[in-house]
Amino acid sequence: MTAKQSTSHFSSFTLFLRRECFLLWNNQENVIQPLFFFLITISLFPFSLGSDPELLKIIMPSIAWVAIVLAIMMSLNSLFRDDFEDGSLEQWLIGNRSLALIALAKIMVYWLFNGVFLAILACIVCLSTNISFEQIKVLFASLLLGTISLQLIGGIGAALTVTIQRSGLLIAIIVMPLFIPILIFGAGAVTRSIAGESVAGALYTLATLAVLSITFAPFGISFALRNTIE
Amino acid sequence: MSVKNHLSLESIRCVRGDNTLFSELSIDAENGDLLRIRGENGSGKTSLLRIIAGIALADAGKVLWNKKTIQESDSFATDIAYLAHRDGIKSELTAIENLKFYQQLYNQNDTEKLMNVLDALDISHIYPLPARQLSFGQRRRLGFARLLLSSTKLWLLDEPFTGIDVSGRELLEQHCVDFLNQGGMIVMTHHAELEHSELIQREQSVDLTSLNIGRFQSEMETI
Repeated sequence: MTAKQSTSHFSSFTLFLRRECFLLWNNQENVIQPLFFFLITISLFPFSLGSDPELLKIIMPSIAWVAIVLAIMMSLNSLFRDDFEDGSLEQWLIGNRSLALIALAKIMVYWLFNGVFLAILACIVCLSTNISFEQIKVLFASLLLGTISLQLIGGIGAALTVTIQRSGLLIAIIVMPLFIPILIFGAGAVTRSIAGESVAGALYTLATLAVLSITFAPFGISFALRNTIE
Repeated sequence: MSVKNHLSLESIRCVRGDNTLFSELSIDAENGDLLRIRGENGSGKTSLLRIIAGIALADAGKVLWNKKTIQESDSFATDIAYLAHRDGIKSELTAIENLKFYQQLYNQNDTEKLMNVLDALDISHIYPLPARQLSFGQRRRLGFARLLLSSTKLWLLDEPFTGIDVSGRELLEQHCVDFLNQGGMIVMTHHAELEHSELIQREQSVDLTSLNIGRFQSEMETI
């Protein structure tokens, strides 16, 4: 790769970062919807489980994890949908533009506005159940690391189904098996922390998965988009 | 125009399902050429444009831009502009925001040129409106503005005059002529006859219906 090429890749990466931020700012329902879904889901549990503070303290972090996995899964449908329908995606596919970088820029912005906001919201909700600050820290770290992988792996599912009209269920079937390990380590970290065990292993695993996702998922998304849009 | 550009299609084949839409299609084009792709509905006109743009892959053969395949060419992505049925315009952004983005994507940043282009297409009054408020024709003109902004060398136009009124059509054809005179190259599909005398003069036709082997074969089988 020549120096000129890498600068142009970098400038198109930042261009897409700015564009996606701007578009999300104009489409705030894409940010608000997952947050509301999460709030509604998580606020239903105390009603069905009863208000035993000791019980809630133990299970709320795990429930927060499940609700976030579902919220992200629901938001995946719209990830590439608009770009496909208005023809923007076709424009990115022209020639040999680096689709992987474009996808990475898009998902980074979505992670910032969905993943990070969801993680913060989850911590605020869990604070209300009176769990210790130590465990909140573990929950926040596990969610930050976990949502990166969730968004990126979910992006592959979204890319594979972008041409299908009502693809929600199909995306769920495709990405569910891949989400489960992340859920196991993510919720596991918090459970171990509550039990007073070491959480390093689980957090390192989540970090590894995040690095792997950042490295490989954009190419998967690019490959999937090039092959589904013909 | 100083630089010579060359587009070359070598034995392209396109298959859709069991049907071979066309095969052994070879075309050469240089600066100033207007290539008009004709054919019935479903004969593969749009498919051919998408293959040239590199969006779809040909089932056989290759597309060369200045002697390099378009996947290897460094400059192809910024040398080409493709106006498709779906115009690539974001409804929630204003006309000017939409165009600005495409300008930056083509490594340019000249606001004055932006306004001049809107003026040239007679849509300067719509620039602060979100694209969702534009009429179909205005949107098509906005899509066309994208072409004028970029300093591309090859335009791929898929039915560019659909939904455009008479005065708009004259305007767009004139812009096509200017582009060709500056050494540009156009590949387009269009049903009705072209009206501008210079465009008609330059026009070279490729008829896909005559290359439509699949349909011919299936008709033979029914007989």
